[in-house]
Amino acid sequence: MSAVQARPVPLPAAFKPKSGETGWQRTLRRFQSSPSSVVGVLLVLFFVAIALLAPFLAHPADRNPYVMPHSGYASDPRPPGPGHPFGTTEEQFDIYYGVIWGARTAFLVGLSVVATAVVIALVLGSVSGFYGGAADEAVMRVTDVFLAFPGFILAVVIVAVLGQSVRNAVFAIAAVEWPTYTRLLRGEFLRVRDMEYVQAARALGSGDIRVILRHVIPNTIYPMLILASLNMGGIVITFAALSFFGLGAPPGYADWGQLVSLSHNWIAGTAGDPFTYWFTLIIPAAAISLFVLGWNLLGDAFRDIFDPRLQGSR
Amino acid sequence: MLRTGWAARVTAVVLAAALAMAAGTAARGAGAPVKNPDSFVELQFGDITSLDPACAYDIYSTEPIWPNVYETLIMYRGSSLDAFEPMLSMRVPTLGNGGISQDGLTYSFPIRSGVRFHDGSEMTADDVVYSMRRFLLQDQAGGPAWLLLSPLLGVDGTRDDKGAIQVKWADVARAVSASGNTVVFRLKKPFAPFLTIIAAWSEVMPRKWATEHGDWDGQPGTWQKFNNPKTEDRYAFNHMDGTGPFMFQSWDPQAKEVVLVRNDHYWQKPAALARVIIRSVPELTTRRLQLQQGDADLIVASLNQQAQLRGIPGTIMQDNLPQIALQTLQFNYNINTEANPDAGSGKLDGAGIPSDFFNDIHVRRAFAYAFDYSANLSGAYAGKGVLPHGPIPQGLLGYDASVPVYQTNKDRAIAEFKEAFGGRVWSTGFKFTVPFTAGNTARQVGAQILIDSVTALNPKFQIGSRPVPASALNSLLFAHKGTMYFLGWFADYPDPHDFAQPFLAADGYFPVRGGYHNPEAERLIDQAVSTPDPAKRRAIYKQISMIAYNDLPYLFLVQPVTYYTIRSWVHGWYYNAIFPGQYFYPLYKQ
Amino acid sequence: MTGFVVRRLLLLPLVGLGVTALIFLLLQFLTPAMRASLYIHDPKQLNALPDLIRKYHLDQPVYVQYWDWVVQVAHGDLGWSETAREPVATAIRGYFPATFELSMYAFACILTLGIWFGTQAAVHKDQILDHVSRFTSISGASLPTFVWALLLLMIFYGHFGWFPPGRLSLNADLFVRSGAFRPYTGLMTVDALLNGQWWLFWDAVRHLILPVATLTYFQTAVLVRITRSSMLETLRTDYVRTARAKGLAEHAVIDRHARRNALIPVITLASLLFVGLLSGVAITETIFTYPGIGQWGLNASQQLDIPAVTGFALIFAGLLVIGNLCADVMYAVIDPRIRLQ
Repeated sequence: MSAVQARPVPLPAAFKPKSGETGWQRTLRRFQSSPSSVVGVLLVLFFVAIALLAPFLAHPADRNPYVMPHSGYASDPRPPGPGHPFGTTEEQFDIYYGVIWGARTAFLVGLSVVATAVVIALVLGSVSGFYGGAADEAVMRVTDVFLAFPGFILAVVIVAVLGQSVRNAVFAIAAVEWPTYTRLLRGEFLRVRDMEYVQAARALGSGDIRVILRHVIPNTIYPMLILASLNMGGIVITFAALSFFGLGAPPGYADWGQLVSLSHNWIAGTAGDPFTYWFTLIIPAAAISLFVLGWNLLGDAFRDIFDPRLQGSR
Repeated sequence: MLRTGWAARVTAVVLAAALAMAAGTAARGAGAPVKNPDSFVELQFGDITSLDPACAYDIYSTEPIWPNVYETLIMYRGSSLDAFEPMLSMRVPTLGNGGISQDGLTYSFPIRSGVRFHDGSEMTADDVVYSMRRFLLQDQAGGPAWLLLSPLLGVDGTRDDKGAIQVKWADVARAVSASGNTVVFRLKKPFAPFLTIIAAWSEVMPRKWATEHGDWDGQPGTWQKFNNPKTEDRYAFNHMDGTGPFMFQSWDPQAKEVVLVRNDHYWQKPAALARVIIRSVPELTTRRLQLQQGDADLIVASLNQQAQLRGIPGTIMQDNLPQIALQTLQFNYNINTEANPDAGSGKLDGAGIPSDFFNDIHVRRAFAYAFDYSANLSGAYAGKGVLPHGPIPQGLLGYDASVPVYQTNKDRAIAEFKEAFGGRVWSTGFKFTVPFTAGNTARQVGAQILIDSVTALNPKFQIGSRPVPASALNSLLFAHKGTMYFLGWFADYPDPHDFAQPFLAADGYFPVRGGYHNPEAERLIDQAVSTPDPAKRRAIYKQISMIAYNDLPYLFLVQPVTYYTIRSWVHGWYYNAIFPGQYFYPLYKQ
Repeated sequence: MTGFVVRRLLLLPLVGLGVTALIFLLLQFLTPAMRASLYIHDPKQLNALPDLIRKYHLDQPVYVQYWDWVVQVAHGDLGWSETAREPVATAIRGYFPATFELSMYAFACILTLGIWFGTQAAVHKDQILDHVSRFTSISGASLPTFVWALLLLMIFYGHFGWFPPGRLSLNADLFVRSGAFRPYTGLMTVDALLNGQWWLFWDAVRHLILPVATLTYFQTAVLVRITRSSMLETLRTDYVRTARAKGLAEHAVIDRHARRNALIPVITLASLLFVGLLSGVAITETIFTYPGIGQWGLNASQQLDIPAVTGFALIFAGLLVIGNLCADVMYAVIDPRIRLQ
């Protein structure tokens, strides 16, 4: 929306193409040039590794591996010790297990929401951006309505109505996020629609769907990638907040938000020592923040690399 | 270059001020001077739904109502559950003094004179009659009117299933009337617990005050318009005018706080406390810290939070207070398997349960022997409570420790499963889900224990559990879709009938949900409630408990106890299990 | 300009209808028994469900219920909120000032800190301050609000006991509700000063510190980055080069030329930020037990108090439309190159 014209800005040295370099090598070099990008990539890869290796790092005790094992039913959390490297929560769920498998939950939820939102955005955004007119107006009004609702409250209402489950929470968060993706995609469609080669393809008689698939969508990948990676963190945070209010993952489900929710009554410790139960809050909170931090840095890196128009913001 | 300018200076000032303020606060320990000596602050965590004694039916709403602002005709003596003393009536009716007629159908209460309402007007028998008739006829959906409608008019509600009025004025006028200065109740059938219901549910309000503020005027022709009101349509919803030791000052639903002030014209000696504040604070940490600081005098908390509250300097924990309540795990004899994912396939094929699954006594017995009751008591209830012997809780007439209980016994459980459905249960297995109230950790743990104990017996037995919000659980139960479910029952009045009837009578709350039906139990319950003789009643309730043991419609899990954490400068506090909350009249701080 | 404003204001009822229709659409997934459960609190009241369904017309088709609601609102009645135990309109009137007060202070802090840090980060690009501000702003966005709020509570209330949750301490609350106090604006800090009660002012401030800190940390992160990038762009422009070439001292360049223009996108974002604050307070208010409109909306949503949720949604839709309108208008006013179409 900025009307202030940015004058062409010289690329930093690291971004200047070197001779004889392939596209991938160039992208890799741009990544390496910034320490925060490297940190971001490492963090995300770290969590990917944990998620993939979960069955080996923490053996599932139940048919359903997402059910956290619990030893006994005593209500007071136990501090880290033998058998429970990170301690236990209220009702004796193992925090270590919850953190490891929670990584899988985080990826599952994040990717599901992004996938759902992207699918909706592709359908609606293409109809809206490509055809314009009444369809465009209708889609835009619907996104207006969804965006007029405070996001978290809308998610809460949807889960409250549909019932608490991971699936419904994903659906609810997707319902909050899809307008942003749709608007982005619509904007991209509008931009690409008027390009010469697309007009040429249409003039030559290519079907619309073909044009969309072959010409338009590949050009919109980068902005979507940027949005998705910046959004992953937000999605996981929203899901954690839903779990905290008892509307996301069911109790006993390996999820970081669940773990924080279970720590809620113990944050003041005991009469003698307020930090008695520090581990119930700090450990899952650290997991969440490192995960989100990684994705935020990664998203920043993507934006810097794929959208050099925003060079001024580095 | 950085300019340390106004920003840094402002920050410094703000921080210094904050630290100065903070330094003024320190936790108050034992021996600290009493804070606010004539105000009492109680912090709980429930919501008040109504302050109208004819509508309020949960403990948080009833706490300010009784016995603090409104009073009843007779009152429980001290901590006793079956000894009464006169309150707004001049005497406790008995057979001996003629207050109860020989046939047990008429109760007479001579009304005390010289008692003033909080608005200054004098209480008369007419006000008592009005209050009682209003209690019966207002009958808001979900309210407590049935407690007196049942013995006085023989119905459970003023409206039938279609919503049409089914009581006649003539019957009501006959059931409650005044004869001079005496209020007379006429029952349809002898009803042993009548006095104890009156002791808890006969709150008196002035007719003139109510009428002046848009409520029913007490006339025969108009009561139908005032039947089943919406909450917001009654002045008495958020205004109170009674005879009690405290007067209503304000209820702020946004601050979740009720403030009561001393009634200086109370008909007995005025209370010591000048002001009582009851506030709802959902966060445990906040409640606890306010108690620690001395800003609160008494806090209410759940069982699994008790460990955190022990040993706070300057406080006492009143522990192991027995409650007249039972926590149960119930079977649904006739499950609605249509669109019911909790019942799985709806057939006995290893992937679900059929609708009559729990109709088989062997299945029920198997669960009864499999469940680990002591793990439930120690894990879900932190050991706070006793294992019940049948449907009558300890402390009530008819409780009998010799009634047998099901002990955890793996072998017998297996044997029963093997006999169930002619052996098919053991060979095919089953799968179902137990819904429980979300947020209720005791039930969550109970569900876990059920799952663990039963699925360990046979790999083909699959049980899951899922938390559902209260509204969804209500909806499930209403549609008969629950499979097994945890329900608790807290006494409306301290009499075994209030447990036998809801658990075992055909039109009791739980059989209506779950489908249990035994005409013998029905007959015995009727007999027990009509007999005034306590010894005879005791014998009949023993028989009823044995029927419950043999028929096994429910697993009786725990009779819980409760606790309160109180500042040590509070004196005069006593506990009566039937009180919904605190009785502030005898309290003083020093 | 007026045409533009009028056209946008006409959007208000449309968006309002759209948002509330969305909520009623969700009701399709609820059984009447679930909705009637709002009015009972114990399983012993289950038998009253058919009665309640009849009483509140919960078995009618959803579109009929929606139409009834629209007609009711057209007559000025937003309905009764069972969770608030008072009419929806009264609840909104009661809760809104608290949220407004909280958002106002948070807004002031966010603007001040965000602009200051962002400017300094741009001016000292790639130096320590830049990296520190970048790190804090990114890490700020990485921690969920409720975790951050719990941490603050644990340290500053659980351990030190300095800043309690809630809006006022018990004594202050009683004083406010007594006859000696006159509420002028509904904002506790302002009213305390107008009543001349310093101790009440400090009490209110003490309770505001943690929620304001929580809200500030996140939004400041966003604002710092926007200010920084906008400032960097401005510092590269021709006229700034000219100012430097003329020999102006660096701080004069920044203060007199660069900052004003750099703040254009920031200021226009301000109204959106404020509306965003108002809608984002739900979690913060709940954790700190702050009696504002966010925690009421959240509580009502969890309990399916439909009249409350729809009233709440209406208010926010209205605020958002007006907020967007203000942003666009300010944009046009500040930057004459923009034309509103």
